[in-house]
Amino acid sequence: MEFYTYVNIFETKGLEYLLLLSFLALFILLVRYLSGYGKKDPDAGDKTSKNSH
Amino acid sequence: MNNTAVFTSEFNRVFRFFLQELKPRGKWLTPFNVISIPIIIVGLVILYFRFVYGLGSVTNLSQEFPWGLWIGFDVVTGVAFAGGSYVVTFVVYVMRNDKYHSIVRVTVLNGLLAYVFYAGALVLDLGRPWHIVNPIIGNSFGYNSVLFLVSWHFLLYMIAMFVEFSPVIAEWAKLEKVRKFLSALTLGAVIFGITLSILHQSGLGALFLMAKPKIHPLWYSEFIPILFFVSSIYAGLAMIVFEGTISHKVFKDLIGEGDHKRNEEIVLGLAKGAAITMFVYYFFQALLFVHEQRWNLIHDFWGFWYLVEVIGFVLIPCCMFAYAVRNRNLGLIKVASVMALLGIILNRLNVSVIAFRWYAADHYYPSWQEIVVTLMVISVEIWVLRWIITRMPVFSKH
Repeated sequence: MEFYTYVNIFETKGLEYLLLLSFLALFILLVRYLSGYGKKDPDAGDKTSKNSH
Repeated sequence: MNNTAVFTSEFNRVFRFFLQELKPRGKWLTPFNVISIPIIIVGLVILYFRFVYGLGSVTNLSQEFPWGLWIGFDVVTGVAFAGGSYVVTFVVYVMRNDKYHSIVRVTVLNGLLAYVFYAGALVLDLGRPWHIVNPIIGNSFGYNSVLFLVSWHFLLYMIAMFVEFSPVIAEWAKLEKVRKFLSALTLGAVIFGITLSILHQSGLGALFLMAKPKIHPLWYSEFIPILFFVSSIYAGLAMIVFEGTISHKVFKDLIGEGDHKRNEEIVLGLAKGAAITMFVYYFFQALLFVHEQRWNLIHDFWGFWYLVEVIGFVLIPCCMFAYAVRNRNLGLIKVASVMALLGIILNRLNVSVIAFRWYAADHYYPSWQEIVVTLMVISVEIWVLRWIITRMPVFSKH
């Protein structure tokens, strides 16, 4: 007789796979977030260099 | 003049120059001197007792707790803090990113001195310190020991870093031909040094693999070597930010105007690297937590202590770094650096001292003498660092 078996992700590797996938997704988001650094004040560097000349 | 006469006159010149440079400069009554000189004197007295009457006379070490503050902080933590050297040289010489070129010399110097003093502090902790040469001279090599790998790597890495820094010494002594020759060796030394660093940073973690029954399961893992290696990257980056902040105040007259201006971009870049590395490290920890099914271990004191370390001193500073980089907030980056460094101290001490034999009835606490000697090692390192920076062309203004 066949019956449905509930798979507990805490007892299998399911949670590890979910964690890994969320890491990959969050890592991309973090790198994108950090790549936009300094956008709030984009002219600051130019102004400084112009003043120094 | 023949070659011998030229060599002799040049040697005499360098020797006289060196003697001249040994003379003290600047004010003597500075706050750092007032604090550090008594510490060094008391530390030397303690070391006299340690070497004459043995470790038991000044430390709380025992057969049950053979590794204490001198190993846990000076060696294991100090070497992680020196990780910035191999990270920056990799970025500048291998990745060819010139943005960080202005901090290479001071970072390599910091790394070299950290290894000489902190790894050198290993001598203080050995019951029979004269045996330290055994793995090097072949008297009982111990090929199967992780310490064999670590001791050889320490020695070779110190030589590699000395070669990396040696052009600065040649430039200071005005030995132009020697400087050109040594500069040509730099890339080879850097590649050699990076390889060694990766191996012995993880090797320090591997030392604890054989202590599985003695380390609390929240800190023990077969992946300790990888955790040690990854955390040494952000430890090094945070240390550069921390030391750079102090250097830019203390040695502001020695730093060129251009480097003062570039400093902000350099700090932002370092913080970006630290944020990414801490993020990776945090997920390693999370994955291990799930993989080793540590759920049942976090309901007592050790569980809360573990969460303080991983969330309070890894995840939170990681978010602080990311937010500060995005908003160009240098003040927040400095705070995050200090928190990241505290997190490294906490992690290394947890693995090697605090959570080591956590089940024992009697716990190890460092004696006041151990704390004073640790402060002495740090103070002497800063004295030597200051001596070199105020004389040699470490910063670009020279």
